[in-house]
Amino acid sequence: MTNQFDFILIDDSAFDLFIYEKLIFKSGIGNSVKAFNAAQDALDFLVEEGENLPKTVILLDLQMPGMNGFEFIEQFDLLPESLKNKTRIYMLSSTIDTRDIEKAKASLHIIDLLSKPLEIGLLKSILQE
Amino acid sequence: MSDRKISILYIDDEEHNLQSFKASFRKQYDITTTISVVEAEEIMEKQEFHVILADQRMPGMTGVQFFEKIRSKFPESIRILITGHTDISAAIDAINKGEVFRFIDKPWDYTYVENAITHAYDIFKTRAELKQRNQDLQKAYEELDKFVYSASHDLRAPLMSVLGIVNLALMEEDVQSQNEYLDLIKQSVKKLDTFIINIIDYYKNARGVQSIAEINFQQLVNDVTEAIKFLPEFERINVITNISQTGVFYSDTMKLRIIFNNLITNAVKFQDTTKENPFIKLTINATPEHTKITFEDNGLGIKKNDVEKIFKMFYRAGATNSGSGIGLYIVHEAITKLEGTINVTSTLGEGSIFQIDIPSVNK
Repeated sequence: MTNQFDFILIDDSAFDLFIYEKLIFKSGIGNSVKAFNAAQDALDFLVEEGENLPKTVILLDLQMPGMNGFEFIEQFDLLPESLKNKTRIYMLSSTIDTRDIEKAKASLHIIDLLSKPLEIGLLKSILQE
Repeated sequence: MSDRKISILYIDDEEHNLQSFKASFRKQYDITTTISVVEAEEIMEKQEFHVILADQRMPGMTGVQFFEKIRSKFPESIRILITGHTDISAAIDAINKGEVFRFIDKPWDYTYVENAITHAYDIFKTRAELKQRNQDLQKAYEELDKFVYSASHDLRAPLMSVLGIVNLALMEEDVQSQNEYLDLIKQSVKKLDTFIINIIDYYKNARGVQSIAEINFQQLVNDVTEAIKFLPEFERINVITNISQTGVFYSDTMKLRIIFNNLITNAVKFQDTTKENPFIKLTINATPEHTKITFEDNGLGIKKNDVEKIFKMFYRAGATNSGSGIGLYIVHEAITKLEGTINVTSTLGEGSIFQIDIPSVNK
């Protein structure tokens, strides 16, 4: 049986949000999807939900106007442990910049850096592990 | 060299040497003198000198010792030693420790001194230019680095979106919805194309040759609006122009076109669709000396925090549907190159006003 997950998507591209949402539901791994086109909004949402937040998978874009992916992580780090423990963050980016890749790997909160376009099969197998 | 006099600091414990030097050269150089090395250092803290002259034999500290002391703190000033005795060990020290540029024998000869100072100043100037050029290069390099970083992202992102849509379309069995995907691909490709056009504009503006010509503003506005008519949002907006031009105004056509194109396109793209009558009001007042241009719209407006940042390269205000972050940067660059100014006032939800003032370029 396929496990289903609750997702938060953060990406400034409306296209990409649309694509991820479709892919997630089509592949059958999505229980719910919340999409944000600004990282700040997603952060506000996390704070607001607090204890009510279900275990959530976050797909986080890197390069965004306003707050970028790494800045989101810095703010995320300040959240209470109980909230942080409920989330699994994967960074999703088209970056090929080695500095970005190193930084993503070094981050305690980013489980993995996945390259765009999202390979839903890959994500599925990662999440099922 | 004619723009500014060569500034010289001369240190000698014998007052009459200072006096006679001043008497000979005060007309052509900007001369400061002192009999004390301590005071000399204090003066140098406050003012930069092109050339420092010091006597070798002074009580307390020799000229070479003085140079050795100030060398690392004031490396730009060129050092010349004045000496009454040809003392070989002093000469060796002067070169190795004080890194002096020239020796001047006492009693000195007018032409010889003049020559030494001229050459010293040439070195000073060349070094300063080199330093400036290095700074410029450093800045250009950093900009390039940033440019490549952001541009590669912005070039790849729409392609990755297209790939994502293709992946999705391949999973889809319903042929009907394929059209929806094709439309998304089209939008993504268009976005990429706009970005590439912006980069070309940027390049033309930064490196391109100036094309100074007589500017007919009515014609310019017509050309620009003709070119952006295809934008889907264009139909909804009302373009009001109020152009008054007297005499002949010379400027760079290419740059003006870039400025007009970006500002009008922005007003079209960021119009407030909830308003009944979205408009852009373009007021141009051109005289042979300078031109004032105002772009006023009742569009979405710009957040207070964003106003000062919108001219930064790759800064995108707002997340949805925003552009490449290059447009206004190029506008700012172009206006700066034309030696003009741009001011923005904007209220979120009400609209924006861009005021531009450009002087005429003399042919």
